[in-house]
Amino acid sequence: MSLLEGLRFTRGDSLIHRLDPRVKFLMTMVIFTSAILFMDLLPLLVIFLVQIPLVFIAEIQQEWTKSLKGSVFLATIIFSTNLISYYFFQGRSLNTENVETALALTVRFLNLITSFSLFFLTTSPDKLSLALEKARIPYEFNFAFITAIRFVPVLADEAQSIMDAQRSRGLELDKGSFLTKIRKYIPILLPLIINSIRRSLDLAEAMESRAFGATRDRTNLFELVMEGRDYAVVVISLVLLAALVYMKLYLPPFEPLFPYRVLI
Amino acid sequence: MGIIEVRDLRYSYPNATSPALKGIDLTIDKGEFILLTGPSGCGKTTFCRTLNGLIPHFYNGDMEGEVTVTGLNIREHPTYKLAQHVGLIFQNPDNQIFALTVEKDVAFGLENQGVPKDKMLEAIGWALETAGIDHLKDRATHEMSGGEKQRLAIASILAMKPKVLVLDEPTSFLDPLGAERIFRVLDTLNKEYEMTILLIEHRVDLATQYVDRVIIFSDGRITNQGSPEEVFTDGATRLAGVGIPRVIELNDRLKSKGILLDRTPLNPTMLVEQLRGHIKRGNANRKAVDPDLDLFTGEQWVNPIIEVEGVSFSYPSVDKALDDVSLTIHKGEFVAIMGENGAGKTTLVKHLNGLLRPQEGRIKIDGADIADLSVANLARKVGLVFQNPDDQLFSENVEEEISFALRNFGFASDVIDKRVDWALNLLDLERYRKSSPFILSGGERKRVALGSVLAWDPEIVVLDEPTIGQDYAQKERLRHFLMQLRTQGKTIIIVTHDVEFVAECKPRIVLMADGKIIADGPIKKVMTDRDAMARASVAPPEITKVFQQLSELGLPDNVLDVDEAVDVLSQVLEVSK
Repeated sequence: MSLLEGLRFTRGDSLIHRLDPRVKFLMTMVIFTSAILFMDLLPLLVIFLVQIPLVFIAEIQQEWTKSLKGSVFLATIIFSTNLISYYFFQGRSLNTENVETALALTVRFLNLITSFSLFFLTTSPDKLSLALEKARIPYEFNFAFITAIRFVPVLADEAQSIMDAQRSRGLELDKGSFLTKIRKYIPILLPLIINSIRRSLDLAEAMESRAFGATRDRTNLFELVMEGRDYAVVVISLVLLAALVYMKLYLPPFEPLFPYRVLI
Repeated sequence: MGIIEVRDLRYSYPNATSPALKGIDLTIDKGEFILLTGPSGCGKTTFCRTLNGLIPHFYNGDMEGEVTVTGLNIREHPTYKLAQHVGLIFQNPDNQIFALTVEKDVAFGLENQGVPKDKMLEAIGWALETAGIDHLKDRATHEMSGGEKQRLAIASILAMKPKVLVLDEPTSFLDPLGAERIFRVLDTLNKEYEMTILLIEHRVDLATQYVDRVIIFSDGRITNQGSPEEVFTDGATRLAGVGIPRVIELNDRLKSKGILLDRTPLNPTMLVEQLRGHIKRGNANRKAVDPDLDLFTGEQWVNPIIEVEGVSFSYPSVDKALDDVSLTIHKGEFVAIMGENGAGKTTLVKHLNGLLRPQEGRIKIDGADIADLSVANLARKVGLVFQNPDDQLFSENVEEEISFALRNFGFASDVIDKRVDWALNLLDLERYRKSSPFILSGGERKRVALGSVLAWDPEIVVLDEPTIGQDYAQKERLRHFLMQLRTQGKTIIIVTHDVEFVAECKPRIVLMADGKIIADGPIKKVMTDRDAMARASVAPPEITKVFQQLSELGLPDNVLDVDEAVDVLSQVLEVSK
C-alpha cells in the first residue's frame, strides 16, 4: 500500500504545486516518454537525477522516499527476473552488459514512479477536475470523480467502525482456512454495501437540494489560468522532448558504462 | 398568503402499507421561526421533503393536496428551481458535502445555477461569515469536526440565499456547545435577515428558547400547534410522546403545588427572574447529602472491575488521543464518559475490549492484565454497543442477528436458542424475530444491536452514544432499561453528550478534554464544577442552570432534575393564594 501512499495528494504551496495541472501533466508525460525512449543506463540515470531537484522544489521528499521504499519489492523483481532470463537464454552465462540492462530497466521503473509521484503528490483533485473540465470531459464524470475521492476517507472510517463492531461481537477475521476467512468478511461487506446504498440516496437528495443540473452552463469558482511560468515550463518540456527524440534517432547509441566482461 | 401554504397534503411512499402523511393543513408566514417535533416515524422528514419538491419529483408514490412555497406550486416546478427558494439541510453533514475544500463546497450550489464568479465570491463570503466558519475557508472538508461540518452544510445552503430554511435534526450528532452554536446562527438568520426557519428537533429544551411557534406531528398529522407556552403546557402534547422542555415542566409541577408564576418560562433565566420574588429567604436549608456517596444505592464501591493505568494512545493522524489516562471503575457502577467530540471518549472505551491497545500504560479487567487477550476473548466480558446500528446489522432476520455473537463464541445450540429468546424478550423484539433488521425503524434497529450484545450476558456493558437520534419516548425506555441492567449487577458505561439524559440517570461522571480526564466523581460534584465543565465544553442541564442562578439566594446549586427541583422549591416558595 505504501506504493499508493506516494500518489496521495499532499497540500503545499511550492512552485510545482502552483503549476497549471495541464502543464504539469505535459511535464510528467515528457519525463515518462523519455524514460520509455531509452534502454541504456546512462540516460536513464540522468533522467532520474534531473527529477531529484524537482522533488525537493515540491517539498515532497518524504512522501517520495516512502513511495520509493514501497517500490523496492517490485524493483527487485524487475532486476532479478531480467538477470535470470538473460542467464537462461544465453545458455547459463551472464556478462556486464546484461547487468547494465537489468539495472537500466529498474531505473526506468523508478523514473516512472518518481514522475507519477511528482504529478499526483502535487496536484489537488480539485485542480485535476478543473483540468478534466477544460478537456471537455462531461461534468457528470467529473463530479463522479471528485465525489469518489471525497468519500474515500468517509468510507475508510465506516469500514473501520464496522470492523470494530463485528470484532466486538466475537468475529475473528484472521482465524480459519482461506475459505472460512472469506466467508468471515460477509458481516463486514454487507453493512458497508447497505450503508453505501443508503448514503447514495442521501447524497442524491442533497444534490437535488443544491440545484444540481439546474443549468447546462455551469460556472466554476476557480478557473485555470496559464501564467508566465506555465508557458515557460511548456517550452522547456517540449524543447527537451525534441532534443531527446533527436538524440535517440540521429546520434550514435550510448556506450556501455562498464567494459564488457563475462561474469559467469 | 403565507410563504408556505399546505392544503390537505397526503402522501404514501411507494409500496408502503400506510400513508406517511394523512392530511396536513398549514400556513407559515414570512419570518417565522418554527420548531417541528414529534415522535420518530411521525412524518416530519417526509413533510420536509415536500417543501422543495423532493416529493413528488424525486420520490414516487401517491401525493394528494397542494403545497405552495414562496408562491410556487411544488408540483409545477422542479427541485433545482425550488432549491433556490427553499434550502434543505439534513441530519448527517457528511452526506451533503461534495467538495474537497470548504470554499469550493459552498460554491457548489451556485456553480450549479451558473452564477458568475464575482457574485459567487460575494455570496460565499457572506455565507461563511454568517455560519461562523470564515476562518476555515481553505480547510479540507474531511479534516473538519462534526460541528464545523454541519455549519459548512448550513453555509452551503445559505450561499444560495434561500428565503426559507428547513433543517432536519441538524444537531443530533453534535455536542451541546456545537448545537448551541448552530442555534445562534439560526437565530441571527431569523432576526437579521428575516429568514423563515423550520427546524425539526427532538431535543426541545434548547430549541424552545428561540422559536415563535411549535408544531407537533404525530402519525402523519399535525396534532397541536401554537406558541411554545401553549403547546408545551397542553396535556395533548405530553400524550403524543413528545418531550417537554424542563423549565416548562418544572413550572407545571410547581403550579400543581399551588405556586403560580405570571408567565410560562421558556428558558432558565425567565424562570429565575420570576422565582426570585417568591422565594422566602433564610428558609433554604436542606438535609446534607454526602456527595461522595452514590446517589442510586447510597453505597461506596469496593471491587474494581476495570483498572486503566497511565494509558496513552496516538492515532497516525491524532497525537495523544489519550494522554496518560488513569481510571478505576468498580463492579456494578454506572459511569458516563462525557466531553466534546474528539476528546478521546470513544478511543478510551475501545481500549476496554482490546480493539485498541495502549501504547503506554496498561489495563486490567477483573484483576487480569488484558495485553495478551484477544478481542474475542475480552468481548465475552466487555460488551461494546456502537453508536450506529447500521454498522453491524447484516443478517437475514433479527433472530440470526442476535445469535451471531453467540455462534462466534461457540455456545451450544440449545443455549443459543434460550439466549436469543431471552434477549428478544428483554428488548421487546419478539414480534420481529423473523423480520429483516433492515426494515425496522431506527430505534428498533438500535434495540436489535443492543440485544445482539446483551445476548451473551457480558458483565460490563459499554454503550457509545446510545441516545443519538432517539426521540423522547425511546430515551425514557432506554433509561428504564439501563436501570434494569443495574439491578442485575452489571457494570454500565455510557459515552454521551446528552446532559439531560445523564441528569436523569445520575451516573458517576468522567469528564474528558484533549485526551485527558479532567474531572471524575458523582454527578452532583462534577456538574457543578464550572471550570471543568467549561473545559470539557459540556453545558449543565437546564434545571442546574436555573439553580446556579438561584444559588446566590442560598439555594443549592447542584439540583439536576425536575423532581429534585420541585422538592427543593416547594420548601422555599410561598404558595399563592
